[in-house]
Amino acid sequence: MKIDKPTQQWELAFNGDWATSVAFVGNNKIVAGNRTGDIYVWQIPDEVPKDEDEGEKDEKKKDGFPNVFPVRKLVGHTNGITQLLVTPDGKTVVSASLDRTIRLWNIDAETTGESEVVLDTRNREVNARGKRAEDKEKILNAPGCKVQEVASTATLEGHKDWIKALNISHDGKRLISGDDSCFTIVWDIASLKQVSSWHGYDRIWVSSAALSPDGQTAFVAEYAGRRSSFDCPAPQVRLWDATEGKLKNDLLKIWTPKVKDKDRVDSYGYFQTCGKILKRGLICAAYSNDGKMIAAGQGGETDTGMIHLIDAESGEIVRSVAGHKTGACDVKFSADSKFVLSSGRDTTVRICNVEDGKEVANLGAGRGGQFKDWIHAISISPDQKRIAGADIAGMIHVWTLGSQS
Amino acid sequence: MWNICPRHEHLSRRALLKGSLFTAGGASISNWGSLFQSDLAAAEVSKKKKHCILIWLNGGCSQFETFDMKIGRPTGGLYRDISTNLPGTRVCELMPNIAQRMDKLTVIRSMRTSQIDHPGGIYLMHTGYPRAANVRFPEMGAIIAKYCGEQDTDLPNFIKISSQGNAGAGFLGPKYHPFNLDRDGRLPTFSTSNLDEKIEMRRHGLRDFVESQFAEKHPADPARMHREAYQRARRLNNVQEKFKVDAEWEKSRERYGDTKFGRRLMMARCMVEAGVSFVEVGQSGYDTHADNFTGHKALLPTMDRAWSGLLDDLEERGILDDTLVVWMGEIGRTPRINNRSGRDHYVRSWSTALAGGGVKGGLVYGESDKDGVDVKDNPVTEGDFFATIYSALGLDPEAENFSGVRPIPLAPFGHNVVKDILA
Repeated sequence: MKIDKPTQQWELAFNGDWATSVAFVGNNKIVAGNRTGDIYVWQIPDEVPKDEDEGEKDEKKKDGFPNVFPVRKLVGHTNGITQLLVTPDGKTVVSASLDRTIRLWNIDAETTGESEVVLDTRNREVNARGKRAEDKEKILNAPGCKVQEVASTATLEGHKDWIKALNISHDGKRLISGDDSCFTIVWDIASLKQVSSWHGYDRIWVSSAALSPDGQTAFVAEYAGRRSSFDCPAPQVRLWDATEGKLKNDLLKIWTPKVKDKDRVDSYGYFQTCGKILKRGLICAAYSNDGKMIAAGQGGETDTGMIHLIDAESGEIVRSVAGHKTGACDVKFSADSKFVLSSGRDTTVRICNVEDGKEVANLGAGRGGQFKDWIHAISISPDQKRIAGADIAGMIHVWTLGSQS
Repeated sequence: MWNICPRHEHLSRRALLKGSLFTAGGASISNWGSLFQSDLAAAEVSKKKKHCILIWLNGGCSQFETFDMKIGRPTGGLYRDISTNLPGTRVCELMPNIAQRMDKLTVIRSMRTSQIDHPGGIYLMHTGYPRAANVRFPEMGAIIAKYCGEQDTDLPNFIKISSQGNAGAGFLGPKYHPFNLDRDGRLPTFSTSNLDEKIEMRRHGLRDFVESQFAEKHPADPARMHREAYQRARRLNNVQEKFKVDAEWEKSRERYGDTKFGRRLMMARCMVEAGVSFVEVGQSGYDTHADNFTGHKALLPTMDRAWSGLLDDLEERGILDDTLVVWMGEIGRTPRINNRSGRDHYVRSWSTALAGGGVKGGLVYGESDKDGVDVKDNPVTEGDFFATIYSALGLDPEAENFSGVRPIPLAPFGHNVVKDILA
């Protein structure tokens, strides 16, 4: 990945409920989902439109960055989308949802219908400001964009609660998913069958999961939300044998060596101790392409959400980077494993050097009052030149990492 | 007159005459609202042996994530509704056990109260009154302890287990002040003497002697309160066994869910069975300005299991009809979901629930509008709610106690008892 004066190129309008997830399909297609369960596909032009005359420029200023409309809609989920990812061959999109299913999609498949959607309500409102009544009416009630509907090619069922964790091995052979009943499943993508599965404790959730590049080791973090009198099991961060579903390493034991096993319970003291490392749970995780490092981000509403870089072999935290004000949301490694990219509740995407932990770029800017809008998810294009971020305010930002792009 | 009559002993002529009508044998008139009209009424009600368990959802549970879902609306949130055993009524998927016990519940979907912050709301929904500079209103628990409790008992009549509310007995005085158990429902450590009984008794005798001497010269309430507090603490020693419920918990763990909150509710049942008139059990963490959905997901399943277990347990033991179970927090939560994935405070339209003694089961009272922004039908104010609770327990909501010379009805002036709810 080469980072040279990153700039924003596009701002795709995705008004409605929160944009929660985003993924590149190839270098010019973006798929994004929201909290209602809608998933759309955008085709991004190679060239960003240039400002040719003053009038057009003014319009663009009002809109922010240029927008294009989606071309396809992936229809099937009945509740919010939590994760979206694409297989390394770029052929299959995988989505996880609060409707307790995982769906697989071929976004180029034959369409099943067509619908008209309005996703740019906010842009219309901005453009209508100060206009005469009839012009305003025209802008606000303009036809929406036509999208071709696509049905999923397969549905993976096996979870009985919200699926919030989903990840894929870099070899593209296995998926891992985790739900709020603390049930983790490793899937074989070719056969769509379960390779292994295991239950954690009751009343605690799988908050993040990742697979090693070869799909043999699973990183799984478990955490529950608010508690009354610590009335839930203690958090867990563990490495598992993904084929056998057997425990390989308990990372919290490595990170808190002074705590005796008998004290690793739902007590105030233990929550205080591991809370310093986990804050409100590790809610995002990724393996580096070379398999040497795991990144896991402190989520929930916390003071500063750091990204821990964990040595995959020893389990030790090598360093903690980024630091998103009030919590991290998503984390990814660059393909060369040199950079870790994270998004957070401060409307920013931070890019840090894995080697020394230094922040090399900070995309976006805080928006909102005391509490900022979140960049809920990020994705890196296969050519490593673009980053997309799903903004809860109802837009997908697309940045280019190099001015030469 | 003002110089020789301390404020705490002062009675108005009207109050004195009214009280005297009920005074027999020249019994001394004490303050703390124990005018005899009130005491007689209390004695009459206490014969009925009614109890109340308050499940207190501290911070303000969301109506949208419990009993008043708005599926498909912008205010609806992430959860889906499920059917219940009450035809046509659906509740949140986080409460599958309560869904199957809706025939026992009266849900009020049209609460409209006046205090939107926590301290004000907690005070309001414990006393029925907003905070006032010149009156210390008693909590509902203290009133029920006074009117429904046995007056000569070793057990406290008002017990709190890990709950909030600091109004206490207010002007009803220390006799009705809540006794707090720890969050596991165990007696606090200070309640057990570690002295040999003989030494303890000798100390008690000495303290009693000194306090009697002091009281002769200082007939003030603080001295009396101090003596009463000691007396109550000593009497508690006689019933220590009632608080040892480890064996009972082993039998009940499955029913209530293996949680601390479940154990607290089982403890409440044990206390009611032992004769305690009011027990309040708290569950904290509902103030979900951020991460409302995960917050409720962490709390509600525990509550659902324990609450439904309590209702079953009370019913099987034949005491549900004499025990009113109240489910509420101090506020509701906003229809709008903020940019922290949270819901803020809201009191214009929210939900509470009642079950058991004195109320109908299988009823949903009131309605909010399509987005849950406002009450559409049958608004219920805090005054109406408290008046209805007192009525369900056989109390007259207009019965008066006195704060100094000021008569204070049990429920605020202007209330309306929601008769449609009463059995």
